[in-house]
Amino acid sequence: MKTRSITLCVNGRDYTFEVPHNRTLLQALRDDLKLTDTKYGCGSGECGGCTVLINGKDNINSCLTLAAEMEGKHITTVGGLTKNGQLHPIQQAFVELGAIQCGFCTPGMVMKTASLLAHNPNPSEDDIRRGLEGNICRCTGYENIIRAVQKASQMINASATQCAGGACS
Amino acid sequence: MSSHMSSRGLPEFELLIPRTSPEAMDMLAQHRDQLSILNGGTALWNYVRGRNRVTPYVLSLSALKGLDYINEIPGDGLRIGAKATIAQLIEHPAVSAKYAALHESGYWFGNPTVRNMATVMGNVLRASPSADCSCALLALGCQVILQNKSGQRAVDIDDFWLSYDVTARKPDELAVEIRIPEPKATTRSAFQRLTRVRQDLAKLNVAVRLEMDKGVCQQARIAIGCVGPTTMRVKKTEALLQGKAINDSLLEQLATSVRGEISPIDDQRSTALYRQQVAGVIVKRTISRAAADKGATQ
Repeated sequence: MKTRSITLCVNGRDYTFEVPHNRTLLQALRDDLKLTDTKYGCGSGECGGCTVLINGKDNINSCLTLAAEMEGKHITTVGGLTKNGQLHPIQQAFVELGAIQCGFCTPGMVMKTASLLAHNPNPSEDDIRRGLEGNICRCTGYENIIRAVQKASQMINASATQCAGGACS
Repeated sequence: MSSHMSSRGLPEFELLIPRTSPEAMDMLAQHRDQLSILNGGTALWNYVRGRNRVTPYVLSLSALKGLDYINEIPGDGLRIGAKATIAQLIEHPAVSAKYAALHESGYWFGNPTVRNMATVMGNVLRASPSADCSCALLALGCQVILQNKSGQRAVDIDDFWLSYDVTARKPDELAVEIRIPEPKATTRSAFQRLTRVRQDLAKLNVAVRLEMDKGVCQQARIAIGCVGPTTMRVKKTEALLQGKAINDSLLEQLATSVRGEISPIDDQRSTALYRQQVAGVIVKRTISRAAADKGATQ
């Protein structure tokens, strides 16, 4: 099996390593880099468990992406949202509102939410429901997830207002 | 390390990532039908995982520059580059303003993640009869621009799908652009599909383009998917619209005519009987909506 040397920038850190040509981004993250926060669900782009962000904004299915095609791109996984042990507002909102039960879909849901809010900081409930399509949760019935996204949007907008007012260090 | 169940792998192949178009053409000419083209990946990897086999070579378009455009050329029409995604399509103001059927087909396509990855060209090249953007493109009419080492040629979308999973693209050609003619001020179009849940593939999809003049249809194109080996036009039904005002009795005639022009099959998404019945209903609704110029995405 032929291999290629690639450099992936994941959560702000560069990793250079050899991958077989058929290595998916998800395999590279989980099996090569041991970053197991991103989950394998269906392998076909229907469940959203493997959702990661490219260049801080756009969500993709890492199970349908080759690692070698990601050379030079910035990849963010759910582990990259947490800074200095401090949960990101999206993670905080998911915890506070009980949007997590078994937790398997949560990394994908959180990353999909991060992408949604990056494109649309004030989504309506319909925007949220449409924006989270493709991410399946079998436990919560989605209601608490919708509430958590609304709360996260408020938390992020409030902290942006605070920062604009000079209250942030 | 071998692949784990936790992150199921793909069969082996040699990955080619050309940096320039001429380099890509050389690789296509060299490996021909031993090579698959990888664009967004959503169709190819599902196809490969479903069969657990792949061609010896896979050519990735990821490093080719300048193919991810959607350009409106006034007086000419819309040009969609090979790497333009469905997400780009539905965000483009000219698409929603002037190419309603195409916009609606992208709006209902897959889910947001798939729309970020999947390309309009990939949808056409997959040559699946359930493809949503392809259905809209057949109704609107377009050309697919194919390029090889010696030059370019344009293939009309009506001649592009030869059968299920088979297109007019030759093994040494790269499909580089889709060209859609500019609609007139009186052109109307619409798209509708049926699925069990939103992100399913269609059980049936319909797109229409009507050339209207004071309530009278001068010319029509009607495309239907999931009722034959390729997305197809129903030309006898189109002819019934010519020179007619669109009213309830005409719509009933169209529904009956459509049912006689298609030969759907049973599969995991629906039955032949249901598709036969519902095709007439969806054609009626799509034509009414196009004629009334009412969008379906709000």
